[in-house]
Amino acid sequence: MTEPATPHRHDALAWVAGSDAPEKSTLNLGFLPLTDAASLIVAATQGFAQPFGLTLNLHRQNSWSALRDKLTGGELDAAHGLYGLIYAVHLGIGGSPAVDMAVLMGLAQNGQSITLSAPLKAAGVTSPEALRNRVRQSDARMTLAHTFPTGTHALWLYYWLAANGIHPLQDVRTLVLPPSQMVTHLQAGRIDGFCAGEPWGAQAIAEGVGFTLATSQSIWPDHPEKVLGCTRAFVEQYPNTARALVMAILEASRFIDQSQENRRSTAQLIAGSEYVNAPLAAIESRFLGSYQDGLGNTWHDEHPLRFFADGAANMPYLSDGLWFMTQLRRWGLLRQDPDYQLVASQVQQIELYRQAAETLGIAVPESPMRNATLMDGKTWDGSDPAAYARSFTLHAMADQAVASAL
Amino acid sequence: MLRVLLIDDTPRKIGRLKSALIEAGFEVIDESGLTIDLPERVEAIRPDVVLIDTDSPGRDVLEQVVLVSRDQPRPIVMFTDDSDPGAMRQAIRAGVSAYIVEGIQAKRLKPILDVAMARFETDQAIRAQLQAREQQLAERKRIELAKGMLMKMRDCKEEEAYTLMRRQAMSRQQKLIQVAEQIIAMNELLGQ
Repeated sequence: MTEPATPHRHDALAWVAGSDAPEKSTLNLGFLPLTDAASLIVAATQGFAQPFGLTLNLHRQNSWSALRDKLTGGELDAAHGLYGLIYAVHLGIGGSPAVDMAVLMGLAQNGQSITLSAPLKAAGVTSPEALRNRVRQSDARMTLAHTFPTGTHALWLYYWLAANGIHPLQDVRTLVLPPSQMVTHLQAGRIDGFCAGEPWGAQAIAEGVGFTLATSQSIWPDHPEKVLGCTRAFVEQYPNTARALVMAILEASRFIDQSQENRRSTAQLIAGSEYVNAPLAAIESRFLGSYQDGLGNTWHDEHPLRFFADGAANMPYLSDGLWFMTQLRRWGLLRQDPDYQLVASQVQQIELYRQAAETLGIAVPESPMRNATLMDGKTWDGSDPAAYARSFTLHAMADQAVASAL
Repeated sequence: MLRVLLIDDTPRKIGRLKSALIEAGFEVIDESGLTIDLPERVEAIRPDVVLIDTDSPGRDVLEQVVLVSRDQPRPIVMFTDDSDPGAMRQAIRAGVSAYIVEGIQAKRLKPILDVAMARFETDQAIRAQLQAREQQLAERKRIELAKGMLMKMRDCKEEEAYTLMRRQAMSRQQKLIQVAEQIIAMNELLGQ
């Protein structure tokens, strides 16, 4: 065997050789057919896991609910997950009993979009103002789909609508569909629009059945999106395995973001029928940051889907976890304020991430909080989640509604 | 219903154990005598448990048992009228999941066989983990070998060789190990 050339590879071997070797060497990983699952797919197939003593078996899922059930049932060890889904399971919101969950790392930022139908385009509903007017004037309620009741797409869609003066739970009808079925339902006229991950927005444009009204990065530049999620029991039972898994995926994420050539070959890989199973043409442009909205506008996005960004995309910020809870609270999915700080510090595995990143020489931010300014000009720094959740004009908090009626 | 493959060449014992097994609710498939095609018989019958007499065929049976357990892993339970702890240890080392002393009551058979199967499953899981680790090491060695060949052919550094191999693999929707094997095969063909 040749001497390892890079220092991180050398350290990686030390994990395997010493007492930090993974307790479990073969892992079952779940993902949904979305381009932001790329780092998992690359890690599992391109030799990023073996140096850490792991074999990663990928299991594509047809719905987030199936992924959740297999994750909590132990059939999957870890998965490509929606931020809000992990928190909803942890907090016991939705169709499953509460199970303590963990966010091991961020997998991707940006890259989701809100798509509206071709008939709306033909009717001139191609701007937020036109949509608001349409919603207010039309008798028939518009139907907009997202991907999971407590998922990121629900929260991006709600945030965007509310920022444009449309109440997502009163002014329109929202429903849940698996992302890969969005284009078919849009074409059939069963929905008027959807918010989902790529390539489904680009695919709607390619098939001529829709156009992009907004990108998720226009709501919150460099917003947290998918995470690597697992149960807390998994982290506690297999801490070395969890750390090795984070390291393998960090290496794969670094590789994808290293060059356009690497990104292009990643797009070619994930287009495969075992993975995203979509035409390369629909995947490639937005994967490389190049957008067209189906209305004649093209641009190179300043905040495209990204997997690494020197670790900025991977740090499981406490403030990111807190933000999703504030939005679950804002829209009444959480009926009371949770103990925000406590829950976020239980779920976000910052210490484990820090160990993994530092071993690979990846910078870890000093603060577990980060600042952001969202599309409506509101700033978020994680300092007072309960007040932030209450600070929105449009919301669905029952106690506030009662308070304002008095 | 659990299916038991019962192997023995002493009809006297079979008579008692067989009726006890049937009474305990098992489907019993009777094999008279131990033959060299036992692995094929196990594959054809697909029993949940193989029940075998240690006593009469002696040491050679254990050898055959190891073979069966390697190629067609099934829980194997021994029965004997000899409660010699030495023989018992030998059997367990050879991959036997449990040990039954002849003359046992029917109602005690089922729990013993249940434990044997549970233990067998645990052993299998451990064995699978070990195999996965060996596979990982083997794959790593093949990838390292191919990387070395590529570095020589292209006169490039390690990092670049990895990147070239990965881009090749990804653009063809293949795994890195597949591209590594292609490089090794090509290298052999060109006689380098």
